[in-house]
Amino acid sequence: MDFSLFADPTFLAQNLVDGLSRGALYGVYAIGFTLIFGVLDILNLAHAATFMWCAFAGYLAMAGLGLPLPLGLAAAMVAGAAVALLLEFAAFRPLRREGADKLSAMISSIGASLILVSVAEAIFGTETRRFPSSALDPRPHLVGGLRISSAQILILVASVALMAGVGLFIRKSRMGKAIRAVAASQRAARLLGIDVNGVIVVTFLAAGALAGAAGILVALLTNNIVPGMGSQIELRGLAVVILGGMGNIEGAVIGGFVLGLVETFTIAYVPGGSDIKDAIAFLILFFILLVKPNGIMGRGVADRA
Amino acid sequence: MRSHNSSTGEPAPRRPGMAPWVVASAIVAADAFLCVKTPQDLDRLLINVMLALSAFATLHARLLSLASAGFAAIGAYASAILAVKLGLPVGLSIPAAALACGVLAVVIGVPVLKLNDVYLAICTLGFGEIVRVAIILLPGLTGGSTGANLSTGFAYEAMRKTNSWELGLALAALCYLFWATSRAKAGRAIRAIRENPDAAATMGIDVVAYKNLAFTASAMIAGLAGAFYAHSVGSLDAGDFKFSRAVDILSYAVLGGSGAWFGPILGAGLLTALPIVLRDLLSFLKDFSQLPNILNGAALMLAIIFMPGGLAALFGRSPLGGPRAARRASSAGAVTKGAGGIEDAEPSGPGGAGGPILEVLGLSRSFGGVDALSDVSFAVGRGSVLGLIGPNGAGKTTLINTVSGIFPPTAGKIRWEGREIQGRRPNRIARSGVARSYQNIQLFGEMSVLENVVVGHHTRIEARLPEAWLRLPSERRAEREAREEAFSLLERLGLAALAGQEASRLSYGDQRRVEIARALALRPRLLLLDEPAAGMNEVETAALGDFILELKRRGYTILVVEHHMDLIMKICDEIVVLNFGKKIAQGKPEEVSRDPAVLEAYLGSE
Repeated sequence: MDFSLFADPTFLAQNLVDGLSRGALYGVYAIGFTLIFGVLDILNLAHAATFMWCAFAGYLAMAGLGLPLPLGLAAAMVAGAAVALLLEFAAFRPLRREGADKLSAMISSIGASLILVSVAEAIFGTETRRFPSSALDPRPHLVGGLRISSAQILILVASVALMAGVGLFIRKSRMGKAIRAVAASQRAARLLGIDVNGVIVVTFLAAGALAGAAGILVALLTNNIVPGMGSQIELRGLAVVILGGMGNIEGAVIGGFVLGLVETFTIAYVPGGSDIKDAIAFLILFFILLVKPNGIMGRGVADRA
Repeated sequence: MRSHNSSTGEPAPRRPGMAPWVVASAIVAADAFLCVKTPQDLDRLLINVMLALSAFATLHARLLSLASAGFAAIGAYASAILAVKLGLPVGLSIPAAALACGVLAVVIGVPVLKLNDVYLAICTLGFGEIVRVAIILLPGLTGGSTGANLSTGFAYEAMRKTNSWELGLALAALCYLFWATSRAKAGRAIRAIRENPDAAATMGIDVVAYKNLAFTASAMIAGLAGAFYAHSVGSLDAGDFKFSRAVDILSYAVLGGSGAWFGPILGAGLLTALPIVLRDLLSFLKDFSQLPNILNGAALMLAIIFMPGGLAALFGRSPLGGPRAARRASSAGAVTKGAGGIEDAEPSGPGGAGGPILEVLGLSRSFGGVDALSDVSFAVGRGSVLGLIGPNGAGKTTLINTVSGIFPPTAGKIRWEGREIQGRRPNRIARSGVARSYQNIQLFGEMSVLENVVVGHHTRIEARLPEAWLRLPSERRAEREAREEAFSLLERLGLAALAGQEASRLSYGDQRRVEIARALALRPRLLLLDEPAAGMNEVETAALGDFILELKRRGYTILVVEHHMDLIMKICDEIVVLNFGKKIAQGKPEEVSRDPAVLEAYLGSE
């Protein structure tokens, strides 16, 4: 590790900004992921494929139809909700009806993910797409010696807004209470007169919309849109939800920032760090599973969120 | 009423008919067509089948592992490096690569297989990814992202070393091992774990060890397949084993079915041939490169939703331990008759005659702040029947679960034959002579009644897996004796006619008696019966009472939880009464039935 770099406050601050914006993206992605786990107790391994489709939806809206950024973001979130709804009806609900186990639901989501990615490759091909420069000014702003891109500002603002929004929704709204009740016990929720399937649909819509936001924000940050882009974030998302505790929403936010900062600082301060950055998520994941399988914040939408 | 009368229990026939054979023949024909047309596809097919068997090995034990592609990558690169860089003959490098995967799987499996199924899937997904990254990060060894080919020092002539027949031979040997294992103790143990891991553990099966075995076998098979792949294709690319490959492998095994070892062969056969056949038949698919992936994904979803047993399930239930085995066991039993089914309890174990065989000392167990048991103490005399009664929620089942090791107590001691056993794993407690039945029936529902009872023999069949593979006479004798003994136990409990039936199709009362037979098959010295008479009519209950008394005469110690007070009064030497997790009375039946605290607990609760 190159310690002399720590003496440079600008470099440190720059990495903090980069790490936080990266972490915010992981957080937004992981909240949707952990929400479905918390409510349904299943791992939706098609979340990354949903994320990828949203990046394309946002791209098509902005580059294809020339829509402005806010509408592109909206298009991506709507697309995410739609894909998530499709998953619920095609991959999960039929299994729930038959009382199949969690393993089956995971397998079903793996199959759905393969189909979603393959169809995207069949339609869009494998070459990289980029936003036109009119979509978002690619030149960084210089703020007190720091280089901050418009995408980073957008990411930080949008992510914090979304995280706060989800938190308020789950805590305060009627539907949020119903979601927590279903997460605690589907049977008890049904006895209380809660429309369990309706709650699950809302959960999927919310998770899909979050995947959508993450999808277009990542696309804007990296400006690199390919059907395989989901695999980049999939393992990171898993590491984040395990770090924060499966099903724990605040945990996912904190886990996202932790992973984003650790990755950024590894690249900046560890020689050869950029080569091992893909392994960091896995190392964190493996370490947490060995040491504290319930994550640093414990698990559960029901009891914590 | 029972719909079967013959002596060995013909099952209500559920013949699969011709359909499965038509499906299997179609798959074989399509694959044959494929391989005749392009011979190099034969290797691909055989490797896919091998990878499918690798995924099956874990799925069959109810482990969702996505590590097969990662292990295949390790096997491929290990064998390639050994063969090309070190000049080893492939006859050595391939087995060495498979062995390396096995060793790695043991190391990874120890921590990972203790986690629950979701975490295993996540860990193995990450494992595949880390292998891919490692291959790219070690270009000096593996060729990195360029791949292992001529430009990185892996010349095609040095790599391309195996023929289809060698691969075919290895696969045939593998199939034989799967077949032989499925008929042996290990195969039965894994089927038991697959259906009900808790019940399997209380039959003395070391669940963690068998899961490790399945995971290690899966890794070795994947490594073998990968090594053959390296020497069949002649070059390697880091992307050959990416995540989508892991999903392909999973889809072969899931479509084929995780219940029987030949399932994945059908699944791999179908999914290898299908895209090629479809492209030949439908010209508009000619250039649709994503077709195989979409078919694999669809196969995964459709199979798991509409056909959870996969293609193998079309063939109906596996015949192991079914009507045929039952008939054989019954005719053999007719010759060697005389034991009457129940052996005397074994007198072994220290502690001396007359003293307590089981002591529960200050036992407490709480669940999230609720005390299910608090500070309960009592002793069970050797050869006696102790009744445990109390209103619902009094902690009776919690006590049995704690004694049998399903979960450890929060505080207190359990002394069994002089040794403290609290907190031990259930399979160790079962092995030391404690067997149990369950309040909510925990049979292996898809196994035959006979096979359920044979599972109870697990700890007593000493034959090891290699003996089963060689089909040594000693192993076959042990298996036959276990079946015959199991059958005579069933006979004694009046279940002989049902021996070949699928256990889940029996009536409630019959299932309870199968559980008792299965527990007795362990030859325990202590039998824990949790509401054995629930669901039985009066005649059956009375017969059960007589049976328990006979067990007592033969030296068994019995702890029984029951709500039928007539039964309790008839069979028990002593009664312990629990209420809200506390012991409120203990004594002879007549004393307890007059105890005011007991009367209040019962009347007050109603």
